Amino acid sequence: MSTEAGIAPFSEDRAESIRMVRDSAAGIADGVARARALRFSLPGFSADVWRQMGGLGWIGLAVPEAAGGSGLGVAEMCALSEELGRSLVPEPLIGAALSAALLAAAGEAEILPRLLAGEAVVLTAWQDRANTLTPCTDPSATRRFIAMGAGATHFLLPVGDQLQLVEAGACEATHELTHDGGHLTTLRVPAGRAVGKAEILPALDRAALATAAYLLGGMEATFALTLDYLRTRQQFGKIIGTFQALQHRAADTKLHIALCRAAVEQAAAALDAGAGADEGAAMVSRAKARASEAAMLVGQACVQLCGGVGYTDDYDVGLYLRKAMVLAPAYGGAALHRARFMALSPEAEDA
Amino acid sequence: MNAIAGVEPQGLDLLDDESFRMVVRRWIEAAYPAELRNPPKRLHWAENRPWYFKLAEKGWLCPGWPLEHGGMGLGPTKQIVFTEELERHGCARCNDHGIIMLGPLVIRYGTEEQKAHFLPKILSGEHVWCQGYSEPNSGSDLASLRTSAIPDGDEYVVNGQKIWTTLAQDANWIFLLVRTDAAAKKQEGISFLLVDMTTPGITVRPIINLEMHDEFCEVFFDNVRVPRANLVGQLNKGWDMAKALLSFERIYLGSPRQSAYALTRLRQLAERMNVWEEPFFASTYARHRCDLEDLKALYGRYVEVLKRGQPLGADVSQLKIIQSELFQRITETMLEVAGENAGLMEPMEGNRNLSPAGQYIQARPSTIYGGTNEIQRNIISKNVLGLP
Repeated sequence: MSTEAGIAPFSEDRAESIRMVRDSAAGIADGVARARALRFSLPGFSADVWRQMGGLGWIGLAVPEAAGGSGLGVAEMCALSEELGRSLVPEPLIGAALSAALLAAAGEAEILPRLLAGEAVVLTAWQDRANTLTPCTDPSATRRFIAMGAGATHFLLPVGDQLQLVEAGACEATHELTHDGGHLTTLRVPAGRAVGKAEILPALDRAALATAAYLLGGMEATFALTLDYLRTRQQFGKIIGTFQALQHRAADTKLHIALCRAAVEQAAAALDAGAGADEGAAMVSRAKARASEAAMLVGQACVQLCGGVGYTDDYDVGLYLRKAMVLAPAYGGAALHRARFMALSPEAEDA
Repeated sequence: MNAIAGVEPQGLDLLDDESFRMVVRRWIEAAYPAELRNPPKRLHWAENRPWYFKLAEKGWLCPGWPLEHGGMGLGPTKQIVFTEELERHGCARCNDHGIIMLGPLVIRYGTEEQKAHFLPKILSGEHVWCQGYSEPNSGSDLASLRTSAIPDGDEYVVNGQKIWTTLAQDANWIFLLVRTDAAAKKQEGISFLLVDMTTPGITVRPIINLEMHDEFCEVFFDNVRVPRANLVGQLNKGWDMAKALLSFERIYLGSPRQSAYALTRLRQLAERMNVWEEPFFASTYARHRCDLEDLKALYGRYVEVLKRGQPLGADVSQLKIIQSELFQRITETMLEVAGENAGLMEPMEGNRNLSPAGQYIQARPSTIYGGTNEIQRNIISKNVLGLP
């Protein structure tokens, strides 16, 4: 039984590096019990685990070694995110990796080492509204939809063409709980300290792709649980996995996951290979569109296939659907990304 | 064999892939008959034989066969490039069952005599093959087939009926799955037999499909006497041999080419119908494009399996489902966009590129042939997902 669909578009060396990253995740991403226990609390994640993540080099996984990071690529970041997604790990690694990439690009050297070590939690407050892929640069705008903002020590904001850093304690913050047990933070921010300039869009793309990979890991995990259920649950004196209606729904679920993996890994490989700005962004958009939509379809199918049990809070499949509700729109939902894909990706000549 | 004399396909494999692509492209553009580009229907032998002989003369008829048997001896990557270039130019599909199905099977399982006899006749166009697998009561459940071959002296006597036999009316030879042991478990009593279509007792009856095209036939066998020497491989091992070719068929049927072609036609139709500004159309089209690009990404992962010479697993069924259903969705959008033109038998305004009904109808059987998509889902649930 293979979970891979064909062979991923990575070189042997790359594939080995990805395997090592996946293995390194096992200690922290080892099931959903920890995520379940932390739900609906503030800050909703563990400072100890955060420091461990720093120690493992995860927060700066894709930050160049010269800036204190691990110097790995997008493919490794996606593989790690996928592993975290399997266990619904609540620490805001993707948001913090976005901040680390921006700080490194800006040449900031004061807070960055503390962030990379897991001593600080710097989250980027780039949004002032829902349904956008465009960073807000207005200094007076209220910043919204910052995942796990209650645990941040600092916020990083694009202001004009600069990045500004503010201490979390200086902000007026409210936190709204989300269905995955986390929260979204709304911020009123005082003027911060300018820390340099960085191109924000490519960094946001990498966060969007990592989010797609996290969703992919979640899909694999909830589908595996569902298959176990189909192989053991009996009704009418039979294992329900023998019923063709359920088998075909399961097969369709597998197709969504296979397409999602193909899109995510293709985009990761392309970014690592230095794809042009538009080409890379178009691939990220396709991957995030696929992942956002597939995560909902897979989550819904798994709840349905597990029947009444699937609708209980006790059973884990529901956790994945509720995580997908939060992450499908994060860094842009399917419709936004499909539209951006079309805008960035002119069609080949007519055959 | 004269047809290929003087041509040396050797050396093509030394070219890098892109140079090879350009060599193939230039030759196709020069050699392909213009009037046969993007035929709206599968062509009959009488129509496509000039192209078959052009390929044969060039020595490019059988890209996947080894050089020693008169093929091009191409590796998997170059075979794919070759096919892509044929598709890019809109080349008609030849009567290719001998080339893509029987030839490889004879090369792998045939005796030296069979190889020496049959392979050159495919290359020369003397033998045109069709495939006799499905029967009226053995479609999805192919292994239940009942057409029988009973030994009698040096011959087998074949009785029964085949159906959905593509272009049987053009063929002078047919390769059959026949039952040679009625008592064995159904997969274990099947053999692979080659039959001359001019043998007395064979009747071919074309079937008109929803396209009003006679692409498929029924073939009847009434006490047809076939030399025992025409058995390929071991007696009662025909099922395993045929199955070995099916995973190849599934990756072939999972190639994005049909969907890519249909999407181009949808784009042209959308221009003509002036619907680009309609929000509904824009979002539907964007979805089709993303679906196609994701399919290409997935397809590439399976091509990589072939390139590395590894076997394709049962999960290749995914490709066939995704491709055929996308192809259908694209053509369904064509009908929506076409409005009242949706039912027209002939292309709109005499423009072959604007044929919504034709494309729509052609897409229907793609979820049926090559193992219905329901059968593919059964395969995935049992052999990939491990459901009981």
